Amino acid sequence: MDLENTKAQMRKGILEYCILSVLSRSSCYASDIIKELKEAKVIVVEGTLYPLLTRQKNAGLLSYRWEESQQGPPRKYYELTAEGRAYLADLDNSWNELVESVNLIRTR
Amino acid sequence: MSINIGGWSFNIDEDAYSELKRYLKNLEIHFATEESSSEILTDIESRMAEIFRSRLTTYKQVISMDDVHYAISVLGTPEDLSNEEGTTTRDKFSSPGYHRMYRDPDHRIIGGVCSGMGSYWNLEAWIVRIIFFILAMMGGLGILIYLILYIVLPEAKTTSQKIEMKGVPVNIHNITEAVKKEFDSVRKNMNL
Repeated sequence: MDLENTKAQMRKGILEYCILSVLSRSSCYASDIIKELKEAKVIVVEGTLYPLLTRQKNAGLLSYRWEESQQGPPRKYYELTAEGRAYLADLDNSWNELVESVNLIRTR
Repeated sequence: MSINIGGWSFNIDEDAYSELKRYLKNLEIHFATEESSSEILTDIESRMAEIFRSRLTTYKQVISMDDVHYAISVLGTPEDLSNEEGTTTRDKFSSPGYHRMYRDPDHRIIGGVCSGMGSYWNLEAWIVRIIFFILAMMGGLGILIYLILYIVLPEAKTTSQKIEMKGVPVNIHNITEAVKKEFDSVRKNMNL
């Protein structure tokens, strides 16, 4: 067993959920999402985020629009689609269930 | 020297530039099996430009090796990314093994169409060439087909494309193997 690998697997599972949660509050620029995820310590290197965003976008959970910025080239703003919101609601439920299950086992 | 990343242009030291190029190339290989790999790379490049911009001041206008190393540490090397995804590098790189037809620039006589088809069907290229030659003799049909294929088939430029051409699964092991082979053939040519 490899502890680092197990931890990485755990983080990987919740990372997708975290991205959707961040976006559920407002539409975001990739760097804003990164900032939140880093503060919450769910990602270590930023490169992890980009393939996930693209996969979620391809799956129809997210969409993006280009927004002009005061300085420099336009930025990509991501937002949840209706499908993404439904998906997130589902994940919210299963997260609560997971926390309950784990607590139940740990406090026995 | 001057480069353009993510819509910004930067002045960059030469050694820093080659380090940056090497890093982006490695990322390209890392994401090669991803469905929208070019989009991911573009996004990462925009982020890289942002990181570079945050490191520049009125007094410091040139991207140095330190800046490139800093950006790499923030974005993560392919190994970091594989670790964070919780898979070993080897698993990550194994794709189902695309098998595509390409033009083969390494063994070409005219445009690499015949050698590419040979690789795809696992035939000797000269067999394909003879077929084309016979078809060309009979009213020029071979020439027409050749021209169409030349236009339609992309050239196998990257190492992963060269592996796809032969139909072996693309993973880091095969890429290393293929690169080694390329080195050997260069060495052989130098000895001649």
